[in-house]
Amino acid sequence: MSADAQAAAGQFTSPAPESGGVIHNIGYRRYEAARLGRAQIVRALTWHSLRAAFGIGRGAKAKIFPVLLFALLCLPAAVNAVALATNPGSQPIVSYDSYIPSLRTVAMLIFVALEAPNLVSADLRNHTLPLYFARPISRIDYPVAKLAAFVLACLAMIEIPLIILYLGIVTQVHGASEVWAQTRQLGPGLLYGAAWAVLLASIGLLLASSTGKRVFAICAIGIPLFFTWILASVLMHIGEQAFGPAGFGQPSALSSLAGLISPFTLLGGVLRWLQATPRPGFPVRALQATTVGHYGALYGVVFVILLTAAIAGLLARYRKVGVA
Amino acid sequence: MTVVLATGIVVLANRGDAGGSAPASAGATSEAGGIVTVQPMQHTGDQVWQLEPGAVIQAQGLTKHYGSTITALDQLTVAVEPGVTGLIGANGAGKSTLIKILLGLLEPSSGRASVLGHDCVTDGFEIRTMTGYMPEHDCLPPDVTATELVTHMGRMSGLPATAARERAADSLRHVGLYEERYRQIGTYSTGMKQRVKLAQALVGDPRLLLLDEPTNGLDPAGRTAMLELIARIGSEFGISILVASHLLGEIEQICDHLVAIDGGRLLRADSISSVTQASAVLLVEVDDGLDQLHAELASRGLNPIPYQRGLLVQLAGDQTYDAIRDAVADLGLPLSRMEQRRHRIEELFRADPTVTDQPAGAAAAANLQPADPAANPALGPAASGLTTGAASVS
Repeated sequence: MSADAQAAAGQFTSPAPESGGVIHNIGYRRYEAARLGRAQIVRALTWHSLRAAFGIGRGAKAKIFPVLLFALLCLPAAVNAVALATNPGSQPIVSYDSYIPSLRTVAMLIFVALEAPNLVSADLRNHTLPLYFARPISRIDYPVAKLAAFVLACLAMIEIPLIILYLGIVTQVHGASEVWAQTRQLGPGLLYGAAWAVLLASIGLLLASSTGKRVFAICAIGIPLFFTWILASVLMHIGEQAFGPAGFGQPSALSSLAGLISPFTLLGGVLRWLQATPRPGFPVRALQATTVGHYGALYGVVFVILLTAAIAGLLARYRKVGVA
Repeated sequence: MTVVLATGIVVLANRGDAGGSAPASAGATSEAGGIVTVQPMQHTGDQVWQLEPGAVIQAQGLTKHYGSTITALDQLTVAVEPGVTGLIGANGAGKSTLIKILLGLLEPSSGRASVLGHDCVTDGFEIRTMTGYMPEHDCLPPDVTATELVTHMGRMSGLPATAARERAADSLRHVGLYEERYRQIGTYSTGMKQRVKLAQALVGDPRLLLLDEPTNGLDPAGRTAMLELIARIGSEFGISILVASHLLGEIEQICDHLVAIDGGRLLRADSISSVTQASAVLLVEVDDGLDQLHAELASRGLNPIPYQRGLLVQLAGDQTYDAIRDAVADLGLPLSRMEQRRHRIEELFRADPTVTDQPAGAAAAANLQPADPAANPALGPAASGLTTGAASVS
């Protein structure tokens, strides 16, 4: 350190050091041009955070999991495209709405648990927040930008496979009416994916902002999300076994309410509720979807409450966090 | 309570704890030499807020309570001129709280503050656009390069992408980081990290820099380098700087002005020259006949103090030189040394050791001494010894 500092002292006194002979001391230059407004700064922070969520600008290791999980989520859509291309006339193997629920659940659980801490925990751990708060943005702008970035990241993870799926199907169908039919099915699928992205991003960031330690943050997200999902699935299964399988008459209260426990089954329940009156071209897939029984509307209400609470909690967290 | 130091400095209402509840001392106290005038302000309340023209920072009756027990700032009234200003105080004196209020990040409990003509409570955005802040503690992510961080922070200061990249490169070069700037910050030494912190404060082209303990954790060479850099930014770049420190000896080297606070109160605000001029002394050394000279100088009314192998004489002006010259010549002594010394700023806050009934003031003053004398060669034992001598001059 001492030698280093000595060298530094030399550099300070002689602005054109021998180590960089081509660098000339051009003196201090003022910045006279226009500055960005608050909204543009928030947008810049959002873009920066969105890149960080996929490990861009963070070294090769940070890109492994986002890329792997993204590839995994795209796999069914890609396989579907290949299958349709090689066997013309066959039915799509996955749907737009629930995609493959278990795959999406596992992949998004890992993505949120691994990447949400990169967006917020790192700044807490490194005490970088004072640098942000000392700049012309307000306190609420930081969590808003982070939330926007992470919602966009989750949207990319969920919606891009759907679009690949859509493209794989429409290239094999014939006639404008069939393309239109597919497009009409894609719309609700994208909306449902957006519900996933918004809810998971809010919960993930709220839990991640509870601690500055990356490992703790990963556990704080992963463990509750994973175990509530397992618990909800088990309870639904028990309910169906004890009171007869869903689909034969009305499901039991236990199996209908168990889905409220986990965000993933909650989302499945919301979908079920919205699909309660099956419409043509909007197939109900019972595959691992939540049973909701008479309580469909409750799923919608709990979804809104949970989402609001997570966002409010995140914003409140940054109203209180210390500046130095 | 009022402690009158031997050097003629008035230390008002020193308190041992930052969160004390003693009311403001009554009355204004002014020192005979006319240098110090500390007037405890009454609550400004809705009084007219007068902006002093030209002041980069202004506080009026600024008070900040944390909860009901801790008072971080207590009726602080001060105006800071352009240039490099030292904000001096012990740990917990309220320096960081003041900086956060100036940045508009904390709301004062009462009183008002302005930075560059903008009110700190209402115009936080404008202030933070024109102000660069270097936090006291480590605040850098280890897994990004200095270039990436400073560029990003430039964007956060409102620079477009291209300008942010250019200014980040400029700022890092100004603080002395060249090829290293492409390395991850985690691999940096403490000195390099401090320079990155300074560069990120500089990147947005601020009109004012608020530096909180910029020499924290640096070794002597690193301190010197950082101080030279700060002085250069102040003089060559034309940026006003408020540099908070508890190491007074450092501040003296680079500051034009000095603001000293303790327990959230203003101890003193003045220019460095007037602060140090008042306490100039002459060190006179003769090879032989020191006792004779002592008696001769005493008879001429100079009141010399034995110090090491010489005598200390309070410097009153040219006549002091003349008197010493005449005394030495009259006695025919071999004069080997006569040099002017300045009291270090520490002494402005150091209670007179003979005043024993002021333990709180003495304790507070003791806090202001450098934590590690070895870390600051400029404040060796000579300076400490000088204090003792000077304290009994008058």
